[in-house]
Amino acid sequence: MSNNTDYHQFIDNEEGWVDRRIFWEEEIYEQELKQIFAKSWQFIAHDSMIPNANDFYTTYMGEDGVIGARQKDGSVRVFLNSCPHRGNKFCFADEGNTRSFICNYHGWSFGIDGKLGALANEHVYDEGDIDKEKWSPKQARVETYKGLIFATFDQEAPSLDEWLGDFRWYLDMMFDNDGETEFIDGGIKSYVNANWKFGVENFIGDAYHALWNHDSGLKAMNNGEGFGPAVTENSYHASVNGHGWEFGTDGYADVVIGGSEKWLNYVRDIIKPKIKDKYGELRSNIFGSLASVSLFPNISFLPGIQTFRVWLPRGPKKLELRIFTIVNKNMPEEIKQEINNACMMTFNPAGVLEMDDGENWEGNTQVNKGFLTRQEKLHYGCGITREIEHEELPGIIYKGQFNDANQRHFYTRWADLMNADSWDDVPTRYKPRHTKTTK
Amino acid sequence: MTNSPEQSATPASMELTFEVEQFLYKEARLLDTEEFHEWLTILTDDIHYWMPYRYQRYRKNHVEPTVNDTSYFNDDMHNLKRRVLRNDTGTCWSEDPATRTSHVISNIEVEHTDNPDEYKVYSLTTVNRNMNEDEEHLMVGHRTDILRRVNGQLKLAKRKIILDQNIFMNKSLNVFL
Repeated sequence: MSNNTDYHQFIDNEEGWVDRRIFWEEEIYEQELKQIFAKSWQFIAHDSMIPNANDFYTTYMGEDGVIGARQKDGSVRVFLNSCPHRGNKFCFADEGNTRSFICNYHGWSFGIDGKLGALANEHVYDEGDIDKEKWSPKQARVETYKGLIFATFDQEAPSLDEWLGDFRWYLDMMFDNDGETEFIDGGIKSYVNANWKFGVENFIGDAYHALWNHDSGLKAMNNGEGFGPAVTENSYHASVNGHGWEFGTDGYADVVIGGSEKWLNYVRDIIKPKIKDKYGELRSNIFGSLASVSLFPNISFLPGIQTFRVWLPRGPKKLELRIFTIVNKNMPEEIKQEINNACMMTFNPAGVLEMDDGENWEGNTQVNKGFLTRQEKLHYGCGITREIEHEELPGIIYKGQFNDANQRHFYTRWADLMNADSWDDVPTRYKPRHTKTTK
Repeated sequence: MTNSPEQSATPASMELTFEVEQFLYKEARLLDTEEFHEWLTILTDDIHYWMPYRYQRYRKNHVEPTVNDTSYFNDDMHNLKRRVLRNDTGTCWSEDPATRTSHVISNIEVEHTDNPDEYKVYSLTTVNRNMNEDEEHLMVGHRTDILRRVNGQLKLAKRKIILDQNIFMNKSLNVFL
């Protein structure tokens, strides 16, 4: 694929299909690294993962290894984890606390601010050989939203607030329903031999699969009871800038999946009234309902189940999944551990729901080694005529949470960014109600 | 010489060691043949089945995992029964066709504890998992168990498993280790 490729050719929102080659072709993947991952705001860490000065956490933006580090002034810096001398990673730990990083190869050291400091055997260099400011690892822009630390390497990208746009109307009920949030200590990293987009698009709008695919998992968690019949009334897809939230308004279906009565009671008695006071009745009904969410390009979470995850691309045919558990800081320890247990039992490599998902996404991806198979289209036409205007819900709204709408809009945003030479080329496809845009 | 707990642990007799080995081999067979209900009967009701996750850290930053962190397994009997129930529903699509597993149990050491009915048992579990057409996954776990004698029979009362992986190298952990 050349830079002149029109990536909208791979999706059709009139007929409702996606071209399978976007889940397989190396050339498309390389363009994703350049156009999606080198430009988008991506999740680095939650504030609670690196609370103290000199705390750090290593992750990836696309396939670029980065370090997120808490500074003495409380701010966070994010910089490439690659020594500018010969390129080696200079941090091999997943997390920790340190005043400096020292490259194993020649002993170049870097401060917690990512700036090049002392060199081992520095006397072998003559004065003027190296400008340390210039030869420090590349730094990203960093902004936070309610405890979530994001970064982008694109100096021209819109602000994080604009990037999230009216999606914040929804995010607030998850990340600010009763004060600050935090992550349970630790997390799990795992590989799935699937294209990264299959994880994202599952969480962005695929309530449909749950009924069939997760029947056994739900029964395991819910004393043998499966899902009720698919309810298409009073449930929605909402899409903003490629982010998507699919949800019902029953209030409790996702909480039930966690299988904890104590957590269910806490949602009913503590969280729901708080959301109702702060954000009104509709959002208090949305939180905890059958729902799933993805933030473009590669973050997902489940309100009410409380798993939070990032899908890191590892080539077109493999992803690294990082999972975390999100709780409110002020919850009693017992409730935090009920949620921790629920996430472990459900959305974890050994979780009774997650085990079925990975199996599907590998199948979705690996069949495309067949040349003829990958020339075939995939159907994304569910609910294609159900777009509505809603007086309260911002974004592009579709009726019925069993729908492919959020997926279609995710791939539209994907194609918009894949095509764009500059941010001026990226259209805002929803009508903002709560966000001022620069364009 | 200091009298560390390691050194003061009384080694088990050959007879007891043999009994423990046979218990662990039988458990491995029950898991390989998917006799999960039978497996549940050789666990005590207060079983704690724990497989922590550990981030890779520098030695100077070492921390021991706790049960309040994120874990692969941190199960009581209720949780384990839920996992077994999933396989019984008839709608557990990813286990049909069945996964093939071999648990190879080795490096078994048995020690007495302060409780005359409980033994501390170290072992290594090497699990080969093969599924679908050609997917193969090797998992090696260091296990520290407490076996308890109940009405003359050995039962598993506690298990801690430390896996030799940082990133879990596969899509699912659909086997008990």
